[in-house]
Amino acid sequence: MYRYREDETALVLERIEEFEDQIDRRLSGELSEDAFKPLRLMNGLYLQLHAYMLRVAIPYGTLDTAQLRALAHIAERFDRGYGHFTTRQNLQFNWIALTEVPEILRELAKVGLHAIQTSGNCIRNVTADPFAGAAADELEDSRPWAELLRQWSTFHPEFSFLPRKFKIAVNGAREDRTALRFHDIGLQWVRGPEGTGGFEVWVGGGQGRTPRVGRRLRAFLAPEDLLSYLTAVLRVYNTHGRRDNLYKARIKILVDSLGLEAFREEVEACWASLPRDTLHLPEGERDRVKGFFPPPPAAEDAPVPYLGPPAFVQWLKVNRRAHQRPGLASVVVSLKPIGGTPGDATAAQMAGLADLVDRYGFGELRVSPEQNLILPHVRNGDLLALWEGLTDLGLATANHNLATDIVACPGLDYCNLANARAIPLAQALSEAIEKAGLSEVAGTLRIKLSGCINACGHHHIADLGILGVDKRGEEFYQITLGGRAGEEAAVGEITGPSLSADAVPPAVLRVLRTYLALRKPGEPFARALQRLGHDPFKEALYDRSAA
Amino acid sequence: MTALLLRPEGAPAPKLPTLPQVPGDTLWSALGPETLGAPALEIAFPSFKDGRGFTLARELRDRLGYRGWLRASGDLLPDQATHLRDVGFDDVLVSEDHTLPAWERAAQRFKRRLQRIAAEPSPRAVAPLGDSVQALNDHFAALSTEALFEESLRRRWPGAIAVLSSFGAEAAVTLHLAAQVDRFTPVLFLDTGKLFPETLAYQRALVQRLGLGNVRVIKPAPAALAAVDPQGDLWTRDCNACCALRKVEPLTPEAEAFSVLITGRKRVHGDDRERLPILERQGTQLRLNPLAAWSEAEVEAYFERFDLPRHPLWAQGYRSLGCAPCTAPAGAAGPRSGRWAGQGKTECGIHRPQVVTVR
Repeated sequence: MYRYREDETALVLERIEEFEDQIDRRLSGELSEDAFKPLRLMNGLYLQLHAYMLRVAIPYGTLDTAQLRALAHIAERFDRGYGHFTTRQNLQFNWIALTEVPEILRELAKVGLHAIQTSGNCIRNVTADPFAGAAADELEDSRPWAELLRQWSTFHPEFSFLPRKFKIAVNGAREDRTALRFHDIGLQWVRGPEGTGGFEVWVGGGQGRTPRVGRRLRAFLAPEDLLSYLTAVLRVYNTHGRRDNLYKARIKILVDSLGLEAFREEVEACWASLPRDTLHLPEGERDRVKGFFPPPPAAEDAPVPYLGPPAFVQWLKVNRRAHQRPGLASVVVSLKPIGGTPGDATAAQMAGLADLVDRYGFGELRVSPEQNLILPHVRNGDLLALWEGLTDLGLATANHNLATDIVACPGLDYCNLANARAIPLAQALSEAIEKAGLSEVAGTLRIKLSGCINACGHHHIADLGILGVDKRGEEFYQITLGGRAGEEAAVGEITGPSLSADAVPPAVLRVLRTYLALRKPGEPFARALQRLGHDPFKEALYDRSAA
Repeated sequence: MTALLLRPEGAPAPKLPTLPQVPGDTLWSALGPETLGAPALEIAFPSFKDGRGFTLARELRDRLGYRGWLRASGDLLPDQATHLRDVGFDDVLVSEDHTLPAWERAAQRFKRRLQRIAAEPSPRAVAPLGDSVQALNDHFAALSTEALFEESLRRRWPGAIAVLSSFGAEAAVTLHLAAQVDRFTPVLFLDTGKLFPETLAYQRALVQRLGLGNVRVIKPAPAALAAVDPQGDLWTRDCNACCALRKVEPLTPEAEAFSVLITGRKRVHGDDRERLPILERQGTQLRLNPLAAWSEAEVEAYFERFDLPRHPLWAQGYRSLGCAPCTAPAGAAGPRSGRWAGQGKTECGIHRPQVVTVR
């Protein structure tokens, strides 16, 4: 994992002092709320329905155990004993006192964490493959690149007051696990014309109220040009992006209005004008950063232990992912217990997990965009002991990528943007699916739930998406089908009229049963949907024929 | 209304009654020759939330080649002072004088930016000791070597300490001790371009075996090599100059990023090392030699206890490994007797022995 040098730590501490000063100026009235708001947002501090919320950056989703323990400690001491992992690989504390924020930030700084640029109209925490450095299908470790982008984008003097927020994803594996085509910029590692590695660059993807699949801006970008090319993209966006309408300010709208060709010409012309020497990424610097992300120490080539308690074998089947090195496995720690709050972890769970990760996980873990935690490296011989430990902590739910692995935003229980609650519906839904015995038999099936059109629950890219809407002051839910990230990226299609909260679980069960009745052997839900079209599922959803 | 200089070390502001004003939302491509010919320009920000003025300043510098004075004005926050400075503004017009103290405070913050941290090593002052070097030496001497590593890496100097390793004959011991505490401890390794291929192979093998995650391979600058040693045969004429070119000069800027460097030197190495303290000052830095008092037998036992691999040349009698041209197997005169053998030279210069006053 990347370690700060002394001067980087000093910079984070200076930033805390600055924020303390800003809080003082706000409390004394020298700063208006209008002026304070963008400053606090760039330090990750929101004012929610009931309290201040602090969003802590988990850089590209990578955590060590000292950091996890610090998060547990903060949850215990400054919050109500828990934290919420988000779809952006961050962690949110929901019940924070403004005056305690500098102290919390100092606690975070001790372990190399911060809340910088987790909100505001700036470049946000970079998304990376949560299985980076471990996945069997990896071409290039995305973490060093995400770290280089973190250093480049943090406190960027030119790009801290953009028209709107800006999100970048880096994927180095064959499978896209970052939803890179739904980011402002998506970077996919590819082989170039001369056989050397580099990036395919996608631009203008995003969710929210105007969902867009990213467009391919460049087929190949040499790695040494990464920072200069991204500077050119940001410069064009900062100059031409709309500032008159909050809802039309993202780069996707600029790419729409200019057209991809004209946008590309602007970028290329700007790129040609940049001083290459200061933005050039020399091999030595790339190697230095790569040195922070070594492979784990070699393990004995022990087989995966498919023997043991049935619950363990089931967990192994569902939550284990193949590792690139013999003798090792990656493991998903589901934060979606049946009937629980998606993405929440208690202080005791975080602290207990940190101990397990020290013992069995080489001290390293990841946060996934699906709001789960991942142990990237576990020796096959330690899997059973790990599972036993996770079971004691209530963290051994075997539902990775299944229908009960429901992604959900905090919704109207916390968020002042929400139209509808998300958590209670996610809880009811996972209980209903489990009780009906449909979770495991339906296989991979992504259900995602957002409490409003800002789509923090990523419902646009779910097999079955659920969007909370406000209908004459009442909470209703619109259902979408067929959304997905990856090479066949698509935005889910709205099925029809919205449903009341009570009507959603039975409707979803009907869809699952229809799928099970109509699928070919081994055919996943997404494929069945493509083959059969949406009609049979819509009929089931609205109960137009008994399914 | 006051103009606050953003780079006090730069040129003084030009004496101009009023500057030509360019609204911050102007497109760079709309700027005409009369504007670009002005010796000074003022970019007026319509709102502190509208960051177009920052890019406009960069476009003026990068694309339009403007080299004149740049002043920022308009609806700006003190908290934007260093942003303005770092995109190329020379001063800022502070419209409300009561905010001047906040502007001055803000302009003093953030001397560096992460964007440059990646490219430039930063000289650091010596970390506060808390105790004198002598008192610390006494303290360290009473500790086990493992405890010394634990205390130094975790509690006393975290983030400010690195291991300097040759990946030579005994290096595995120091590296293993450090990795037991934190495998991400920075390790500085000088690849002089003249090392034995066996050393490079051993380096890769040890990194893998110990899971080292923060090894910085330092090489001589290609430009310096081309200028001073184009044929690569400087060592045949002046081995001191060669050590300076390939070791001392490349290491210095990298080492300056740390306050404390751990070395594997031992008293049993002989010569100047016979009186080696555990902790010593070297210039503004500290050198920590945790194995100073270790015997050859203790080193041997450590290798056996943790089943650490030996350097491939160990079997051929090498007991201290430097560059290939200037290193031979050790003779009877001690483990380092194969280094610069017959030249009256015992150190390359990266460890400058200091006189330690023992009180």
